[in-house]
Amino acid sequence: MKEKDRKFYLANITDRFVRGQMDRRSFLGAAGKLGLGATALGMGMGSRPFVMNKALAQEQMQPSAEVISWLKEVGKPFAGTTLKLATESTPPSNAINSQLKKYFEEATGIKVEIEVLPLEQVLQKLTLDVASSLGTYDLYYIDQSWAASFSQDVFDPREQIEAKPDLAMPNYNIDDFMPALVDGISKYEDRWVGVPYDIPIFIMIYRKDIYEKLGLKAPTTFEELYTNSATISKEMGPNMFGYAGQMKSGHYALECEWTSMLWGHGGSIFNADKQFSGNDEQGLAALDYYTKLKAIMPPGVDQWTWDGQGQAIAQGVAASMLSWGEFFPYFDDPTQTKVSGLCEAVIPPQPISLRMPDQCGYGEIPGVGHQGGSSLAVSKYSKAPDAAWIFMQWATCADTQALITTLGGGTGPTRTSVYDDPRVKANARVGAGTTRHLPVVRETIDKYMGSEPDLPEWAQISSDTIPVALGKYFAGSGGSAKETMDGIAQQVGEILKG
Amino acid sequence: MHQSRFTRTLRTIAGWLVVGAFFFPIYFWTSVAFRDAKEIFNWPPIIFDFHPTVRNFEQVFGISLGFSFGNQEAVTPGGGNFYMGPRLWDSIVVASLSTVLAIVVATLASYALSRMNFRGRHEFVNWVLSTRMMPPVAVAIPMFFIFKQFSLLDTYLGVILIHGLMNLPLAVLLLKSFFDDIPAEIDESALLDGASRWTIFRRIVLPMAKGGIAATAVLCFIFSWTEFLFVLTLTQTGLKTVPVVSSTFVTSIGTAWGNMAALGAAAIVPAFITILLVQRHLVRGLTMGSLKQ
Repeated sequence: MKEKDRKFYLANITDRFVRGQMDRRSFLGAAGKLGLGATALGMGMGSRPFVMNKALAQEQMQPSAEVISWLKEVGKPFAGTTLKLATESTPPSNAINSQLKKYFEEATGIKVEIEVLPLEQVLQKLTLDVASSLGTYDLYYIDQSWAASFSQDVFDPREQIEAKPDLAMPNYNIDDFMPALVDGISKYEDRWVGVPYDIPIFIMIYRKDIYEKLGLKAPTTFEELYTNSATISKEMGPNMFGYAGQMKSGHYALECEWTSMLWGHGGSIFNADKQFSGNDEQGLAALDYYTKLKAIMPPGVDQWTWDGQGQAIAQGVAASMLSWGEFFPYFDDPTQTKVSGLCEAVIPPQPISLRMPDQCGYGEIPGVGHQGGSSLAVSKYSKAPDAAWIFMQWATCADTQALITTLGGGTGPTRTSVYDDPRVKANARVGAGTTRHLPVVRETIDKYMGSEPDLPEWAQISSDTIPVALGKYFAGSGGSAKETMDGIAQQVGEILKG
Repeated sequence: MHQSRFTRTLRTIAGWLVVGAFFFPIYFWTSVAFRDAKEIFNWPPIIFDFHPTVRNFEQVFGISLGFSFGNQEAVTPGGGNFYMGPRLWDSIVVASLSTVLAIVVATLASYALSRMNFRGRHEFVNWVLSTRMMPPVAVAIPMFFIFKQFSLLDTYLGVILIHGLMNLPLAVLLLKSFFDDIPAEIDESALLDGASRWTIFRRIVLPMAKGGIAATAVLCFIFSWTEFLFVLTLTQTGLKTVPVVSSTFVTSIGTAWGNMAALGAAAIVPAFITILLVQRHLVRGLTMGSLKQ
């Protein structure tokens, strides 16, 4: 039996066993034919079937022989080197840190130290490293909103491939990275600021059971999203709400959700003249809609980032959210949430109208599927740039990404080929680490992705200026919608003037 | 003074309310450490009626407490960075040794400032006081460069030094006030009897200032135990203290509140034990000098 077929067969019998369609004896018998013993199947691991399934996945999940062979060969001269990376706690970094880096270290003799920090602390560390040029970190985890700021401080991976052909990974295939993600996450002007490393993106997640109970269909437009949410809040309140937002005053989360509404109403953050345009007709319509939607959200939503928003769904307090797809595998985890198997993912609501990128400034790409994400890049100040480049290629190659997606809890891959990897597809079932939402993620990336503008001042504008003003508006102390947006326009203008 | 029964009852109720107001957050936070994720956020909130679990502690300290540790997920939560046993040890080492450093230096310095007359003594005390007014963030980045230059970045020695230095002004000022409260006539009598300055300090003054030293040590320990900025700036993967690693529980898909509470609850214990050990001296130290004779 081919390896691919074997994995499919294994996934199928596991699925049937998990669903109770196959008894234990039959399951063990079938698995035995694949050469897997009870130990490999995690039979001693208690009564939770999905844990056993994950243990099985872990047994299967190792880097390919080709990759290991290349690492052994290319990494030999760098044995004994230590590489440092500061990163946010994201599924790819966690999977590499806890499960995968041991293979890299064994094969190359290069030690990898990964420092996991909240995003704002990663920014602080990188800024200090760049300002000092001391090379305390060899690799940079670069959030998409920092791409412009760090574009001159990292190597362009295309140049690295050309300059160091002896270190280039065979079949690395840099063109396999999804073009929309390269544009949205890793490109500033003509430079690649690393390669796309992870891709959280806004998709529509809703409680299918509640929608069915009330005879509702998944929202396809913003109007439907509102009417469905209002119906749920009305019919099932006061302890169940139709929609949960991420509206914490002064937090980047609020800016993210607002941009999704803005783009969905035909607006943009900047117009073609590079002026803030959230205060135009479409911008005001978006803010009106957002205000209307907030009225049917749970009380206290203006204190929630995506964390509180996700908790509202996980604890069964809210029935839908337009938010990061990374949440979906978490919702499916029966040990963590009350909604395992009850949520469904669909593409975001269709925009009322959509502004074209050439009508926007600073490379902004309107789209309801607000894209986050980060790049991985080699620091120009690294004392071991070659070893770091080897690690970077390994960490972002298709084989490793497939392992990350499967082990790392169903995070969205940044390479096209990984979406079709049998290991990834085999996990598309209800349970922790599911990948059953990935077709929606892929479609959203391809067709509905919205990307924030790239400019060095964007970190300040997106994490301070806009969310602080919006927070005041929603708290009732920022004046009217028009006054709020005009105020932001004025502040942004001053920031851009320097 | 006679109090009516009503007044006494009212005082008792008020007392319990105050105790409850202080104790409840600690109880709730600790109870979160013993809850599954599903039982942390509920509306209406669950105060007592939850199913206790030690899972959060098992994940944070990497030890099986005999319940369900064998069922860990394939990917360790937080990429293995939720394992905090070594980080708690880091905190204990840094807080203890930096306290020792600060107390040793400060005791000697403050005795000199209290007993010896030299030019610029008062200005020196004012200068020490002024260093407390400087915001730590102003020196964090210069310190990063200095530490890198001297290979102190990401080392125990580096963090112990910076915490010791950070606590030194406060310790000097506090201890000086304690030494000031011990009559100088005692020193003078001993001098007349032929004792050296060092003997007086070690045999006479130091034992009398034990309470004050204990109180100062507790404050230094707590400041080091809770310090965030310097540890964040001056460490990478080599060591980290509890306040900094607590932020590790903030992930891209939310905060692991149960794990964070488990670490927080466990982190109270060493500080509590330290205070318990010096409690006898602490009360005396805190009240020293409260009455002028």
